[in-house]
Amino acid sequence: MAKDARENWESPMQFVMACVSYAVGLGNVWRFPYLCQMHGGGGFLIPYLLMLLLEGVPLFYLELAIGQKMRLGSIGAWTAISPYLGGLGLASVVTSMYLCLYYNIINAWSFWYLFHSFQSVLPWAACPVNSNRTGPIEECEKATPTQYFFYRETLNVSPSIEKNGGIHTGQALCFLLAWVITYLFIIRGVKSTGKVVYFTATFPYVVLLIYLIRGMTLHGALNGVKYMFTPKMEELANPTTWINAATQIFFSLGLGFGSLIAFASYNQYHNNFEWQAIIVSLINSGTSIFASIVTFAIYGFKATINYENCLERTRILLLNSFNLAEDSIIINNVFEMIEKLNTTFPEQLAELSNKLEDCNLENELSTAVEGTGLAFIVYSEAIKNMPLSQLWSVLYFFMLLMLGMGSMLGNITAITTPLQDFKFLSRISNEALNGFVCILCLLLGLGFTTRSGNYWFTMFNDYGATFSLLLIVLIEVITVSYIYGIKRFEKDIEDMLGHRPNWFWKIMWGGISPLLLITLFLFYVINYIQGGTPTYQAWNKDLVSLYFYSSCLRWGFSFCCLYYSAS
Amino acid sequence: MLGRIVYFLCLPSVLAAQLCKPNAAEGFKVRLSIKTALGDKAYEWNRNQRFLFQAAIAFAMSHHLDLEFNVSNVLVCDETPRVSFWFVVTSPGDPSRLVGKESVELAVRESRDRINNVLLLNDATLEFVGVLPTLVAPVKPATPPWLIVFGVVIGIVGAGIVFLLVSTVVQKKRKEKEVAEEEEDDEEAQMKRTARNEGIYNTSFSEDDRNTQM
Repeated sequence: MAKDARENWESPMQFVMACVSYAVGLGNVWRFPYLCQMHGGGGFLIPYLLMLLLEGVPLFYLELAIGQKMRLGSIGAWTAISPYLGGLGLASVVTSMYLCLYYNIINAWSFWYLFHSFQSVLPWAACPVNSNRTGPIEECEKATPTQYFFYRETLNVSPSIEKNGGIHTGQALCFLLAWVITYLFIIRGVKSTGKVVYFTATFPYVVLLIYLIRGMTLHGALNGVKYMFTPKMEELANPTTWINAATQIFFSLGLGFGSLIAFASYNQYHNNFEWQAIIVSLINSGTSIFASIVTFAIYGFKATINYENCLERTRILLLNSFNLAEDSIIINNVFEMIEKLNTTFPEQLAELSNKLEDCNLENELSTAVEGTGLAFIVYSEAIKNMPLSQLWSVLYFFMLLMLGMGSMLGNITAITTPLQDFKFLSRISNEALNGFVCILCLLLGLGFTTRSGNYWFTMFNDYGATFSLLLIVLIEVITVSYIYGIKRFEKDIEDMLGHRPNWFWKIMWGGISPLLLITLFLFYVINYIQGGTPTYQAWNKDLVSLYFYSSCLRWGFSFCCLYYSAS
Repeated sequence: MLGRIVYFLCLPSVLAAQLCKPNAAEGFKVRLSIKTALGDKAYEWNRNQRFLFQAAIAFAMSHHLDLEFNVSNVLVCDETPRVSFWFVVTSPGDPSRLVGKESVELAVRESRDRINNVLLLNDATLEFVGVLPTLVAPVKPATPPWLIVFGVVIGIVGAGIVFLLVSTVVQKKRKEKEVAEEEEDDEEAQMKRTARNEGIYNTSFSEDDRNTQM
């Protein structure tokens, strides 16, 4: 029984849901708000939307067109365009493989936090008691309970990347679960993926909406939102702002991995992917903006709580040192009292000066965090202060899971689809091939569950795919515009859609997008050369802080360079 | 004579003043945050409340050392508007001798709960400066709850995978059987139909090769 007819999505809606589920991922939640804050709040939207127009939508359209026309995965599709370009598809597959190895560890962490939310008191709400029950554990007291829970109990992180430690069993179990669920979702190819993506695409929006309503009603949330949306237009003069906007659009849409080509290859030949490309790109950007409103409401809440706690600690310190009656200082007049005490008891106040903290709301708001720090530390800190925190915790980590799983589906499909196109592998059934890929990634990815796993994860996340993706998409666009030829491409699209693409698309493919990509690529190369040895942040148990460490990355880096030159 | 009487009458209070002073070697500083703890229902710190505190400490000492301590054995001094003060404990046998700091600390730690409750406060609002609180031992369930949820989820997912794989295999087998039957039935069905219509089925034109060979 040969598989002669290619599988198809059951309806165009499934395809759109799959693309949305893939493109809308963790980056929308934990990278975009950070960039927004760093580059002038509301003003950042200008370069962001401009780059979406010039670079995001045209490249998205291009990949969908290739996939739908060639009806093959990335290796087959590029080989069909030109026999010398099989390597391009192979590079996409290898990059997807890289991503699949480390991405599921985030889902493992989400599972860990999700399962730990089913307790009467959230474990990151308070420090655990030390062995002689006289107080909290020292490491936890110096840091915050949320940081302690993440670095010590979740990761049991080692002091540096060289010290491997053993495998953290809890992490390994959650990692196994993440892969088992991934296998369940892709077990029958698009037949199973198509049904799952309805849920993974829509559920995050439900949670974001609930969080928006909850967030806006939190004490101090509006401080955060106001802070975010106040545009600082001077940031637009900084070239880094534009570079970061372009990079964010590029990576947020998931171009270059081959997932979009793979998804589109299961479309009906005459599917109207033009409006689908526009809609998915707009949904992706809209979600980023929506998520950042929620994030900033949460930031505002957390900053206000920290500020008020700081004021409270200062108040207690003053009361205790000067033996004043309890109601003489309240939170609102702490600063006035400090002034008064400065005039009446200056020497005593001077003695206290090293214990007195500087409570400043602006400072609290401007501590911008991105990445896993935002998702697992800042958010859990905000959640523990909300009433009914278990419910909010479950909702939030389930949403993170849906976002992460949706993106995983795309990346795994980017590997399995080209593999299935090979003649010698088509005899193996779908299920067996998918299972083999999952087991392979599971075994190789166990390294991320060791005690130094977080550092490996950071290395892969920050340096693993950036270069190769830029190069891949650049070559893609140049190939289609100049080697394959815009005219032939136009005819293919006319064949599929019934009308030729607008002049706008042709200008973008032929000129603007390649120029933008070359600029980005050059910028990254210059940055690498000037940057010296790459560094990572390590958690120091005694100082209880993150400090920069830059040793063993060198050999890992040269490994990366070797594989880029090979593909 | 009168002088001596006055001397002996004043002696205890003078002794008390000398025994209890701020930063006394055997004394502890106590800080109360009544308004923080009770808000509107806060009581005013006065002589009677102080008496209650002394009684509670006397109870704690009696309970710990198994001696009979009295309220007069607990001396309080240096009260401030914060509501903080110092106290020392004198030995019941000899009022001029102080009980050691370690014994007082152990006694307070042992009966901390009772002392807190008597004054309607807790460990944070009734502060014995220098005495470490005895925190409640964490409740450790036999199986961590997260493992239970994990077990349930992975069980369901595993069952789902097994179900899907089995159903795929079963479907494949069924399809193979159907196709095999269809191929056989083709010829037989035609022969049966022609026999029913009282014709003779000419097998030389049976559909072995759809297309004529070139």
